[in-house]
Amino acid sequence: MLRRGLQTIVLIGVACAIGFSHAQLPIQPKTSESAGYLPGPEVARLASLGFDALVADFYWFQAVQIAGGPQGPVGQSHRIGALVDLVTELDPWVDHPYRFAALWMTDDVAAIRMANELLWRGIEHHPDEWRNRFYLAFNHYFYLGEHAEAAEVLEPAIGMPKAPRYLGRLVARLKGQDQGLDVPAAFLRELIARAPDGYARAHYERALDEIETERRARVLDRAREAFRERHGRDIEDVAELVSVAPPILRKLPEEPHGADWKIDDRGVIVSSKLRYRYRPKIDASNREIIQSIHEKGTGEEEEEGGS
Amino acid sequence: MSHHFRAIAAIAINTVRDAVRNKVLYILLFFALLLIGTSFLLATLSYVERERILQDVALAAIRLFGAAIAIFIGVGLVHREIDRRTIYTILSKPVSRVDFLVGKYLGLVATLWMQLLVMAMGFVAVSWLTEAPLAAGHAIALAMTGLELAVLVAIATLFSSFATPFLAACYSVGLYVVGHVTRDLRALGALADSEGVTTLTVWLHRILPDLASFNWTIEAVHGLPLPPAEVGWAAVMGVGWCIAFLTVAAIVFDRRDFR
Repeated sequence: MLRRGLQTIVLIGVACAIGFSHAQLPIQPKTSESAGYLPGPEVARLASLGFDALVADFYWFQAVQIAGGPQGPVGQSHRIGALVDLVTELDPWVDHPYRFAALWMTDDVAAIRMANELLWRGIEHHPDEWRNRFYLAFNHYFYLGEHAEAAEVLEPAIGMPKAPRYLGRLVARLKGQDQGLDVPAAFLRELIARAPDGYARAHYERALDEIETERRARVLDRAREAFRERHGRDIEDVAELVSVAPPILRKLPEEPHGADWKIDDRGVIVSSKLRYRYRPKIDASNREIIQSIHEKGTGEEEEEGGS
Repeated sequence: MSHHFRAIAAIAINTVRDAVRNKVLYILLFFALLLIGTSFLLATLSYVERERILQDVALAAIRLFGAAIAIFIGVGLVHREIDRRTIYTILSKPVSRVDFLVGKYLGLVATLWMQLLVMAMGFVAVSWLTEAPLAAGHAIALAMTGLELAVLVAIATLFSSFATPFLAACYSVGLYVVGHVTRDLRALGALADSEGVTTLTVWLHRILPDLASFNWTIEAVHGLPLPPAEVGWAAVMGVGWCIAFLTVAAIVFDRRDFR
């Protein structure tokens, strides 16, 4: 009886020790951490022992988990790139992963260039797939500001199976070095229409929202210029464009979600929602501005929450 | 000549009967069918190309469990007969050792192909239920898997003709692994600075069975055209390897002393 009681106590003690030590360990899967080990494509191919497609699927699941995970794809471009590189080396005839890379690898110029390399691999293995060229042209135009390259990449897609008819016009505009907002808007509308999931759609819709905000901001820029010419001074407030007699604008363009217009520290008219102006490429300076706004924004929200 | 065929056929039929009574076979088959059946659950982890992932997993299950059955049943092929002392009864009849070995080999290959057929039916059923595309490429890929399994059984037969089941399993698994990497090793060797490494990897690829040439699953799943010449030469090479391994096995087995 005593022996059985002792055995039970020991078992309970061991169970508690296991439970306690287990509770000290992190619960996040190691694969979602950026520091996780990834083999090179050659090593992965060797280790797959002929089950290349299955191993490719395994790494694909990891890439999907990073993009759709709690931390999201921000700051994970290079990890996603390494995973998609593995997937497409092991099974280069996969279709969507090439465009998945283009969608989520936007953290910096190096990541975008790597996504472009992956898209070229996709084009090599799916020469009749117009979407890979479309994404590649979008990257060249939207992030890298390379209009000529974008046109060159997109031109062969005209007339490919299922390619939309407007591609010809888009290429013509790209060749004409169109600096307007219609080209990025056309790209983004197409990407929204063909987004494979809600996350991707939301990503592009945000970019399109920025362009629509920019359209309205440019109306205000022109009105501001007219104000300067008429009054020989700059506006003190955006509302002055409406309140001055006679008014330059009958009313200010409406921003969604109750946002209004203001002049920021650099003297630029911005929406209070977005707080920066759209630029067709993500260069280092733009990144810094967006980052500082986000950091400042987080601080303000905390203060508001505290008060 | 005809009495050789009769003897081989009789041993082969007996081997099939013996093999289908082996519980290990059913356990492996059960897990293979389970994995094929649940492959659609794995495919749901992705939000795109689910049909492709489903077929990748199902075909990998067929190849993996097929290889496991080939090796783990194959390595006991001769040893079981010696252990049960039935080999003495068989060889005391007008049956040569070569007839015995070939009969055992063909019996096990027939058993494996029946298993492959069952797994293929599971694959077709899952693909059909999930509306994943099926084409002639899938049939060719499965047929080439069948040929790869025949080569594996020949390898297992060779090792089982002189080694214990444990060692024969180790050798067979080793050769299976090496057989799947020789092509990649050759490609890596070509990039090496050392001439010796390059030559070594080229010769490894030449003298060892290139099992990667029987793998057409990626092409089948993506609906890519399968080059007839390449598939044809792989088939010829597969038959050649089966004959080569069986010949060596027969030579070794013929000289073996059972006392």
